[in-house]
Amino acid sequence: MFSQYEYSIPKEAIGNTLIELAETNNKICVFSSDVSKSVNVYEFSQAHPDRFFEMGIAEQSTVSAAGGMAIEGFIPVYVALSIFSNGMTFPQTRQVCNNNLNVKIIGTHAGVDDGADGPGHHSTEDMAISRVIPRMTVLCPSDENEVAAAIRAMIDMEGPCYMRVAREVQPIIHDKDIKFEIGKAEILYDEGDDFAIIFEGSALEQALEGWEASKNTGKKGKLINIRSIKPLDEECVRKVADMVDTIITVENHSIKGGLYSVICETLAGEKHKAVVKPVGFHDQFMESGPSAGIKEKYGLNAKAIVDYIN
Amino acid sequence: MKKILNVNYDDLRATALKNRLKILNMVHDGASGHLGGALSACDIITYLGECIIDYDSDERDRFILSKGHAVTALYAELHELGIVKDEELHTFRKLNSRLSGHTNREKLPETDVTTGLLGQGLSYGVGMAFAKKLKKSRDTVYVMIGDGETHEGQIWEALMEAGHFKLDNLVLIIDRNGLCSHQPVENVISIEPLADRLESFGWFVKDINGHSMEEIDSAITSLQSQYGKPKCIIAHTVKGKGISFMENDGQWHRNIPTDEQYEIAKAELEAQIGGTNV
Repeated sequence: MFSQYEYSIPKEAIGNTLIELAETNNKICVFSSDVSKSVNVYEFSQAHPDRFFEMGIAEQSTVSAAGGMAIEGFIPVYVALSIFSNGMTFPQTRQVCNNNLNVKIIGTHAGVDDGADGPGHHSTEDMAISRVIPRMTVLCPSDENEVAAAIRAMIDMEGPCYMRVAREVQPIIHDKDIKFEIGKAEILYDEGDDFAIIFEGSALEQALEGWEASKNTGKKGKLINIRSIKPLDEECVRKVADMVDTIITVENHSIKGGLYSVICETLAGEKHKAVVKPVGFHDQFMESGPSAGIKEKYGLNAKAIVDYIN
Repeated sequence: MKKILNVNYDDLRATALKNRLKILNMVHDGASGHLGGALSACDIITYLGECIIDYDSDERDRFILSKGHAVTALYAELHELGIVKDEELHTFRKLNSRLSGHTNREKLPETDVTTGLLGQGLSYGVGMAFAKKLKKSRDTVYVMIGDGETHEGQIWEALMEAGHFKLDNLVLIIDRNGLCSHQPVENVISIEPLADRLESFGWFVKDINGHSMEEIDSAITSLQSQYGKPKCIIAHTVKGKGISFMENDGQWHRNIPTDEQYEIAKAELEAQIGGTNV
């Protein structure tokens, strides 16, 4: 833990942000599949009961019903643990995108953030399976304030969008009035051209720890919050790849199909200076345990980052 | 809904026969598609297009064809209404056509929902029914599924939800033609007692002959004054209806007629059309 930061649980921003937005936007509706308390939208059900739909443990039907509401002009937001809202709904979500509907899906407990429930509940493929669907926007904000800003941006954009949100406590590195632009990465630190750590939001703490540890290596680099997996800030990625020797991607996700993959896909076939190295989970199911412990044990940690810098 | 003062059943029957011929032509021309389930659904879809759905309005009743493979029946009726043009009928399932293999709302907005992955349409209906209630609209949402489609688990999720929320602006029509892709639904996975199951989920259920315009009209109009429950019409139909050698034969789920079979089928339908007062 960093003493200079306050910590909070990013998903706790969801309910209040949606309540606030719904006060002035009467199109916003929230769908739940029996986890409203776990994902912080229970408060929404109390604030706007007419626009809250508890669908029961029926994720597939929830996504398609959200599609029906979107056709009628509403902005449905389905919030559940990502293994439910994303992991259990591929055909329905794909068909929502095929219909080109303004459906918003939020997946909490990203990556191994539902650690103790075990590998069945870990959501380490959600960026992979959402970003491959045509038309889908995929966002990965980091701390509580950035999650709130990303939700505002998600409501303002037209079209299907999936957002993953951390359950694990994260340092609060952004102010409340932070601006979030979809498709624009955020360069948090730029101190040299030896390396760049590029992370997705739910791996914020491990990326920061790696950044701190890198100070003992004698190498100077950059720390970049990617914010949006699709669209990706390709301009930023290419520019950085021409400047640094090593790009280290850091993700609370499988290294297959997520952040590492999108960076590699962007750079492959072009001449750049950097080699790209992955920090994340290596094509395996993990085990039950505290989320922080799983990250440490299975390689999402500062040591793995620093090993690539040295 | 449309304001129809006097429904003329003979006219409706004649229109449905013309639509059957268009269905046959589309599938034969396109050398691809699903005849059997389009022919079983044709009378109901014709009725909805002629008497219920007002495609001229922005805020209107909806018709979701969840069994999207029967889409030629909908294209035929939309052609009858002037929405699909004559020249388009020859483009079914071909490149650059609006008439894609299953409904596609971006190409043809009147088809309401892009469907084809079975099991999802009723949930869209639930969402639309929520939306209509929020808007305080009196519009109705009609959804047609196949009987085999009830094998999809998502259908039962939506049935439960509609019953729970008492969505009396939702009408489900089950095209009970008795056949899955090639064999009887009851042999694949039994769905009986279907009406009892639906009633136990909180639905008002009506069994009809899905080829009788009188029964279709009576069921749909009488359901309009039923409140407090979602409504289901189990429409008993014949797969391949109207073409004798296709009727109740599972292989016509997606067989394409040879030129010779096409001529026989066309002659049969034309003979029936000739016998009406068109």
